[in-house]
Amino acid sequence: MATKKNVWKIAATVVAALMLAACSTEVKRVGVNDVIDISGAWNDTDSRLVSEEMIRDSLSAGWIDRYNLSLKKTPVVIIGNIRNLSQEHINTNTFVNDLERAFVNSGRVDVVASKNERGDIREERADMDLNATEATRKAMGKETGADYMLIGSINTIVDAASSEQVRFYQVDLTLVSLADNRKVWVGQKKLKKEIKNATFR
Amino acid sequence: MPITNSHASGCDWQKRQFFWLLALLAVFVLSGCATYSVGIATVEQQTSNRDLDGALKSLDKLKLTGTDQMLYYLNKGTLLHYQGNYTASNQQFESAKSLMDKLSAISLLEQTGSIMVNDTMKSYEGVPNEQLLIYAFEELNYLQSGNVDEAAVEARQFDIKQRLIAGKDLSAKYLYGAFVRYLNGMTYEEVGEKDSARIDYRKAVDGYKAQSSFTGFGVPAALKADLDRLENPQTKSRPVAAGKSAGSKTQSPDARNNGEVVFILNDGLGPTLAENIVSVANPDPQHGTAILSVAVPKFVQRPVPVARFEISDGSESATSELVEDVNAIARKSLEDRLPAITARAVARMVAKNAMAKKIKNQSENAGSGALLLSIVTDVGAIVSERADTRSWSLLPGNFLMARLALPSGTHDLKVAYYDHSGNVLATRNYDAVKVMAGRKVFLSDYFLTVH
Repeated sequence: MATKKNVWKIAATVVAALMLAACSTEVKRVGVNDVIDISGAWNDTDSRLVSEEMIRDSLSAGWIDRYNLSLKKTPVVIIGNIRNLSQEHINTNTFVNDLERAFVNSGRVDVVASKNERGDIREERADMDLNATEATRKAMGKETGADYMLIGSINTIVDAASSEQVRFYQVDLTLVSLADNRKVWVGQKKLKKEIKNATFR
Repeated sequence: MPITNSHASGCDWQKRQFFWLLALLAVFVLSGCATYSVGIATVEQQTSNRDLDGALKSLDKLKLTGTDQMLYYLNKGTLLHYQGNYTASNQQFESAKSLMDKLSAISLLEQTGSIMVNDTMKSYEGVPNEQLLIYAFEELNYLQSGNVDEAAVEARQFDIKQRLIAGKDLSAKYLYGAFVRYLNGMTYEEVGEKDSARIDYRKAVDGYKAQSSFTGFGVPAALKADLDRLENPQTKSRPVAAGKSAGSKTQSPDARNNGEVVFILNDGLGPTLAENIVSVANPDPQHGTAILSVAVPKFVQRPVPVARFEISDGSESATSELVEDVNAIARKSLEDRLPAITARAVARMVAKNAMAKKIKNQSENAGSGALLLSIVTDVGAIVSERADTRSWSLLPGNFLMARLALPSGTHDLKVAYYDHSGNVLATRNYDAVKVMAGRKVFLSDYFLTVH
């Protein structure tokens, strides 16, 4: 009888522990480079793979050197529109910001504020006209004009049947000369995923 | 001997406990259904009174969790859409889509519950025609907040989902998603993807034709004009925009200096499902349940108050067209699902009968407890047999759409809703609507009456 009681006690303890574990929220820190795929949708790993490829390719391609050689100055880039033509709501800012950071930190490419960013800056400059001292005030009309605009798109092809999917992503980024529409650099990253959803839950 | 007696009474105790538990479970199931139907009626009434804050609070109070979680997401997303809170509405619909994906995997526990107790033991994942409309709501949310690129993402998602859903039942014409395809076509045009727009307009036309046998209406005239415009771009003369009021100036929506207002009305409430119980006395009640009953859902259509509406800026006007008959599609969908539902209900009846037979046979020697056990078994079998009457309650009965071509600029618009006798039910004013040349502005509203 005593053994039977013990078995019940252990079982009850295990059930209680399981219930408690299921009820509590668990958080653990993981490395930003750890690959964690949950749903198969676009995630941080895809973004990182794109930015790594784009940074490596854009800085090693010859467009910066060609510009330096011919004009003896640093090229200036503005970020344009990166169109999401996929079937997922994808935040393109993550890899675009990575690329922008790499340009600036390399010291070989200057980046100017984008269309979305400069509104606030101009507003602040206008505010300075009224409120800042003359010595510290920044004048209007002294912005640096960009030489190139970065534009791009994310395209996908999805082949799906019942619980299986193959998703193909193609990210294209292009630097277009604002002076004459020439494309001076075209970067591309392709990703392919096979997703098998569980049949049972 | 005492050991034998002790064992027998322990068994009885366990059996009784099991059946009381079953009876209790059945009561919970019943009370759950009653709470939802009563609670959602309050939400519908408040929505009808345009008390959307109150409706949202009432919906929260229903505590639709567990197997009913999907109903919460769908109804909350709809209320937030009506409220104009597009971002929050899309959060709900995104949750609904995630849950839909999760629930597409089979739960053996729920399937067993469905056969042993009733269909409400299964998580509600929305019927296929409801699932397709999630994309329409989300797309409209993006369009109405001016985020056309994200609306196009919804259109692409819909394409994948519709193919998956329709692929499971190729004969189901209502799964073409004609209305959503039509909306997708307009979205693709907005983002400059004319080829994709043409393809979706074509699929929408095919869908409307395929479902016309049970919806009673064909291809909307404005859609025909859109398809013609994209398939024959060299043709100079265009048909007058659909629904154009007689006597108004002819203006094609694709004229260079014109933009277009697309107004969509969620008209009335979609169907609800009631319970249809067929019960017969068991000729052999000693060896099974006293009553043999089968519960299946039956279709209940609710009134659709607005027959048509007219949108005008004072000089130009357009009349609405029916673009989605939610009622007719839901009716057809239920008709198609009913054989499987009925088969499952009959299987459930056989299973419950067999279980009752076993219990009654085993309890024959249980003395005074036998009668009680027999009653509990019969009551449990009767009260647990319930039809699954869950549905996306706040879906409209149909969608009406009017498209008004207007010169670029700011316009004050008036929309008048007419009932089936031609009387004005209500008017709405939309001031300072900004129309840009070559672009569409999307507006929507709802009108419903709850009696």
